[in-house]
Amino acid sequence: MAKNQGSETIIAHGVRVEGDFVSDGDVVIEGEVAGNVQAAGDLRIGDQAKIHADVIARNAVVSGEIRGNLQVSEKLELLASSRMIGDIVASILSVASGAQINGKITMDGREIKVKKEEKESED
Amino acid sequence: MYYYVYDEFIQDPRFERDLALIETRVTDLGIAGKIARLALFRDPKELIRDEIRKGAKTIVAVGNDVTLRRVIDAVGDTGAVIGTIPLGKDNLMLSDILGIPVGVEACDILSARIIEQLDTGEVNGRRFLHTVSAPQVSQLEVQVERTYKLKAYKKCSLEVRNLAIADEDVRAANPVDGKLECVLRTLAKGLFRKNKYNVSIVPAKEFHVTLSEIVKCQADGEEFESNELRFKIIPKALKVITGKGRKF
Repeated sequence: MAKNQGSETIIAHGVRVEGDFVSDGDVVIEGEVAGNVQAAGDLRIGDQAKIHADVIARNAVVSGEIRGNLQVSEKLELLASSRMIGDIVASILSVASGAQINGKITMDGREIKVKKEEKESED
Repeated sequence: MYYYVYDEFIQDPRFERDLALIETRVTDLGIAGKIARLALFRDPKELIRDEIRKGAKTIVAVGNDVTLRRVIDAVGDTGAVIGTIPLGKDNLMLSDILGIPVGVEACDILSARIIEQLDTGEVNGRRFLHTVSAPQVSQLEVQVERTYKLKAYKKCSLEVRNLAIADEDVRAANPVDGKLECVLRTLAKGLFRKNKYNVSIVPAKEFHVTLSEIVKCQADGEEFESNELRFKIIPKALKVITGKGRKF
């Protein structure tokens, strides 16, 4: 995997996340997630990833499996190896040949809000 | 007022010339001050705290990373500014990250006084500036800020970074971002039986790590044993003089 900058979060293969996962930055998931995922930045779901969660992100590139609803406020790219079981909401959608979608697709330009990480007030 | 803490190893005759140059340069720059020489039974904490009570505002560690860590421990939350003049060849990683050159050139950096407020980490009540690491264990669970859990289901090692340079597979850890970085390396099968690791990186303010067995962990090179590690960040806890070439 390429080196990364800033407050990017990476969940590699061999690690499972359980609970409400909220990130202010970009997120890369190659492992497993059960719960909810919210990324204020860009989300990349690798081809070995298995997500059993509702997902909200600004932009997303998916090549793994998502079982849950996916909401993307800007652009969603479903690559050839992706498998989507759930509803999709996105502004811009790109689907590669071979991608599987089992759910409803909505592109009505509705506003999608991403929860921010809780910030402690400075004294 | 400056207070210089000389480590025991630099009192060796081979550092005599370096020390003479440093003492001349700090006098020229108008930043000369009292000197304390560490010895086997001299507690640096007591010496430094005493001098801070008497009005020392800047404590300068003259030696290597070990000297700097001892000064950081002693200064604690007193609010004094920490500087360093690195000497020798080994154990100079922290001063390199802070952008401080070795020897007499460091005096000019001290005099320029670019002060950064750095975060420090805390693990089980012990402060650290650099990293804490635990060796590979069969099972590991990390509770992140009471919102989600990370579970490694393969053999995994742990590293929590506050101030660290980028290495082969992990980016540099920034000590002014108000977060620690939890790095999990899970074992993956590599070609020709060569070990390969998948790296997870999670930035957060608090972690609670549970390991499957009691292991020897290292906090800034100091060993301790535990199977439960509670981490938190203390933002802007240290005032440190840094150079223009600092790596964060």
